[in-house]
Amino acid sequence: MVFRSEDVIVKTISRILVPFIQLYALYVIMHGHYSPGGGFQGGVILAASFILMLLTYGYGETKERISEKLVNLFSSIGVLIYAGIGFLCLLLLGNFLDYSQLARILPVEAARARSLGILGVELGVGLAVMAVMISIFLDISSGGVVPDDRDVDEDE
Amino acid sequence: MNTFLLAVGIVLCLLAILVLYRVVFGPGVFNRIAAISAIGTKTLIILLIFGFFYGRVEMFIDISLVYALLNFIGCVAAAKYLEMERER
Repeated sequence: MVFRSEDVIVKTISRILVPFIQLYALYVIMHGHYSPGGGFQGGVILAASFILMLLTYGYGETKERISEKLVNLFSSIGVLIYAGIGFLCLLLLGNFLDYSQLARILPVEAARARSLGILGVELGVGLAVMAVMISIFLDISSGGVVPDDRDVDEDE
Repeated sequence: MNTFLLAVGIVLCLLAILVLYRVVFGPGVFNRIAAISAIGTKTLIILLIFGFFYGRVEMFIDISLVYALLNFIGCVAAAKYLEMERER
């Protein structure tokens, strides 16, 4: 149900715009602790770039960049990064997400380890949010039928 | 300078409220889409004025960029929906 369109203007504009949107999303994730934004907002912007691609090029061409399976994998990896850093802090005799304990395994002092830990968690959150947003968009636009599944059905 | 910025912000807010009339009562979908994107553009400028007013432009520029971006994507989505309706 994600339609292909033959509109030259929209296609060209979105092809030019998508890399900049993704770069900006990475900027928002990386600078989450200085400026407004962070993992969730950056993930949403990253998902917006892929949703723009889906809107203009359709699922058929976007599938080569990011497919339904890859989206599911990314959402799991994002949660794994978040919970993994949290439980790593537990294993290092701290509280859950007590980043300063990461200084025991990283060759930096506690304050720097805290900053790095926050960055890692934000990356995980951004990845998970991006994947879940794309997944929601795909599910809504296809009426719950994953395009991959439908292709398999047609082949049979 | 602050008074000037405040006045510009208030005028833009009033204009946005005027455009809101088109969104609610406007005949047809096209009027509504045009009005919504006009409100989006006004909101962007109001955000920047807020930034200058509070002296933290570098923060509000980020927010207004995101706002412009999502406005554009929303416009594309609405246009897509209209195209779908026409083909049906």
